Amino acid sequence: MKSIALGQFYPSESVLHRLDPRIKVILTILYIVCSFLCKNIVSFALLLLSALVLILLGRIPLKVVLRGLRPVLIILIFTAFLNIFWTKGEHLLFGWKFIQIYTEGLYAAVFIIIRITALIIGTSMLLTYTTTPIALTDAIEDLLLPLKKLHVPVHEFAMMMTIALRFIPTLVEETDKIMTAQKARGADFSTGSLIDRTKALIPILIPLFVSAFNRAGDLATAMECRCYHGGEGRTRMTVRHVRFADFIPLVLLLLLGAALIVFNIVGIGYTM
Amino acid sequence: MAEIKLENVTYYHGKDTPYEIKALDRINVTIPHGMVTGLIGHTGSGKSTLVQMLNGILRPDEGSVLIDGTDIWEKPKRIRDIRFRVGLAMQYPEYQLFEETVAKDIAFGPKNMGLSELEIEERVKEAASFAGLEPQLLEKSPFDLSGGQKRRAAIAGIIAMRPEVLVLDEPAAGLDPKGREDIFSNILEYHQASRNTVVIVSHSMEDMAKYCDHLIVMNEGAVWMQGDRDYIFSRSDQLTRIGLDIPQITKLMLKLKAHGLDVDGGVYTVEQAIEHVLKLYKK
Amino acid sequence: MKDVYIKTEHLSYQYEESNFPVLRDLSVEIGKGEFVAVLGHNGSGKSTFAKLLNMILTPSSGKILVAGKDITDDSMTDEDILALRKTMGMVFQNPDNQLVATIVEDDVAFGPENLGIPSEEIRRRVDTALAEVGMLEYAKHEPHRLSGGQKQRVAIAGIMAMQPQCIIFDESTAMLDPVGRKEVMDSIIRLNREKEITIIMITHYMEEAACADRILVLNDGSILMDGTPSEIFEQEDALRVCGLNVPQCTELIHRLRHQGIELKGDCVSVEQCAELLIESLNKEEKNG
Repeated sequence: MKSIALGQFYPSESVLHRLDPRIKVILTILYIVCSFLCKNIVSFALLLLSALVLILLGRIPLKVVLRGLRPVLIILIFTAFLNIFWTKGEHLLFGWKFIQIYTEGLYAAVFIIIRITALIIGTSMLLTYTTTPIALTDAIEDLLLPLKKLHVPVHEFAMMMTIALRFIPTLVEETDKIMTAQKARGADFSTGSLIDRTKALIPILIPLFVSAFNRAGDLATAMECRCYHGGEGRTRMTVRHVRFADFIPLVLLLLLGAALIVFNIVGIGYTM
Repeated sequence: MAEIKLENVTYYHGKDTPYEIKALDRINVTIPHGMVTGLIGHTGSGKSTLVQMLNGILRPDEGSVLIDGTDIWEKPKRIRDIRFRVGLAMQYPEYQLFEETVAKDIAFGPKNMGLSELEIEERVKEAASFAGLEPQLLEKSPFDLSGGQKRRAAIAGIIAMRPEVLVLDEPAAGLDPKGREDIFSNILEYHQASRNTVVIVSHSMEDMAKYCDHLIVMNEGAVWMQGDRDYIFSRSDQLTRIGLDIPQITKLMLKLKAHGLDVDGGVYTVEQAIEHVLKLYKK
Repeated sequence: MKDVYIKTEHLSYQYEESNFPVLRDLSVEIGKGEFVAVLGHNGSGKSTFAKLLNMILTPSSGKILVAGKDITDDSMTDEDILALRKTMGMVFQNPDNQLVATIVEDDVAFGPENLGIPSEEIRRRVDTALAEVGMLEYAKHEPHRLSGGQKQRVAIAGIMAMQPQCIIFDESTAMLDPVGRKEVMDSIIRLNREKEITIIMITHYMEEAACADRILVLNDGSILMDGTPSEIFEQEDALRVCGLNVPQCTELIHRLRHQGIELKGDCVSVEQCAELLIESLNKEEKNG
């Protein structure tokens, strides 16, 4: 339980790790847009290629990346299955009784797999694997800064994120401890009906909430003692300056997007 | 009757993960019946893991845990019964409190045992009195109690299961000197009245010296030493070698001994020290 | 005594939900650079006293002067309060509940960041503060993987990075094991000796109090005893009445004195007690 990896940050010294987190957030959004621009074989091939390039740039072992895909494997298989059997088209490939598979369905399945895989690889390579949670929070705060003029509490939001990230492992450990303590008093979490099991959670949830509230109170006092008074007049130890090099990937990705749009207009290869 | 024996017990934290750590390494331990046994060791020495072996919260990867000669994992489905026989109060047990009233909270264990209302009521009263809780506190919310009272309520919740063995992990942690003394004297009273086996885990060697008959010293996942109190403290220089904090009075005696005075380095209470020092004066 | 740094006059405090004051008519002076231990059983008002000193709580009546300035005065602005909290740092009991950030150095930077210190200066202060408590090599670690003693040292560094004049420790060793306690005590003593930081340390451990220059014993919200560790430990019976005790060695010397053995001098630490005994035995030998 203690080895829970938060945000799955993978420490390494790569181009992607060094890239300014704010740029990375923008890149991620652009990348998502790009993936939805894909409409034909060539653009999907390009998307897949760009995902591979990202893996190489981030210097993350392929094994780790694949492990990250495991949780969505079922969704992948399920959507592919749906697309193969339920997409109707003009070119019947295989037909037996009520099962009819069209070429269009096959393509749709392949496309959806590439899109989801690329989306996950893209966001995790650009963000979760290569950016620490704290850098990510700071980046989001910076990017949302203009909203402050509209009285959106940007700093407070970022502070809450940071504290949540800091306390998740502590609360996980605490849950573990409380569970052990209640088990020692004969609590049973694994047998009985659904209602029984839900009831069995009460002796864990109440102490957990009580303790979380106490911690929150303590933390608030400690923060006050350390002169916290909101975002006003606050400085940062690490100030990031966007370098010229940080813009290169932005330009590359914009080019990719442009290419995808062109392909859509020209319509090369099989198009959905 | 309840003697607990650990035979060649090995346990890994995070088994089959990249973070695998050997927490216990071929442990052989006997916790004698009807005595107060102290478990000593650094943080990370394996004491907390060992404690969770005793009532079947953790299952050994190798070796066996025996109560009166029977392996507790013989019928894994019946492991809950072992938890009623070996009551474990964890460190800072007050976080286990959750019920509306103290009485209901103390009754949680007995209720899980499936006892009758009448029996539960009787046990709650008995346990509260053993733990030194005034009866008028029983109808209060556990969250309105003071820190010391919460601790007692939590311990009462374990005693109410009438376990044959009572295991307490740092029962006095964070309490003031008076609070420490009080809680230990309650534990001793319980021990004397019930004649049950008690296991105490503590960092405070002074408390261990005062309250335990038998001691087990853990170091780096293994048993470093075990034996009666006199035996363990007669080797106090070895205890300091693994960085354990020996009682202050023992430190003083070792200093006097190093200075060439004829005193025993195995002294662990102020009373013994007085006796030894007075002898020096008589000479 | 050194220059007075903190002075309280007839300080009282009562929690709203309670019928009794936790602190009553407490007047005390604490010198600049002094190391004061505050003892007392649970509920004696120690923690309340600490929280009043940096205006986390506002006294019901009475005055507090810090460096000559009345901090309870109505004219205190928000800036004044920030300046006060910067000067009077505070380290709490539970190491888990006072660290804010997910990386050690970011946490240490939290205080100076709030004060609006320029970035390069924060960097310098963070490194210095971590070095002072011996945690520099853990700068990039995650706090939740550290031991209790290490977490408390990070908390101390977080306060030191604000460059305080005084640090209040509110039972900061209570949840630690002996190793962690020693680490934290060593840091506290070093900050007092080398950086001349005024220390107010609330504790239950008599051995820790013995390291201070001066001990205040609080009982029922007022000061029962005030003196050097040696003077305080002398009054063993009075200490026991208010739920405290003395270190074992001190108790030994006291009881030997009762038996009519002549042992003159301080008996606060193991070393002092050993010396006393050896000296007395040597004398005995000569006479006998």
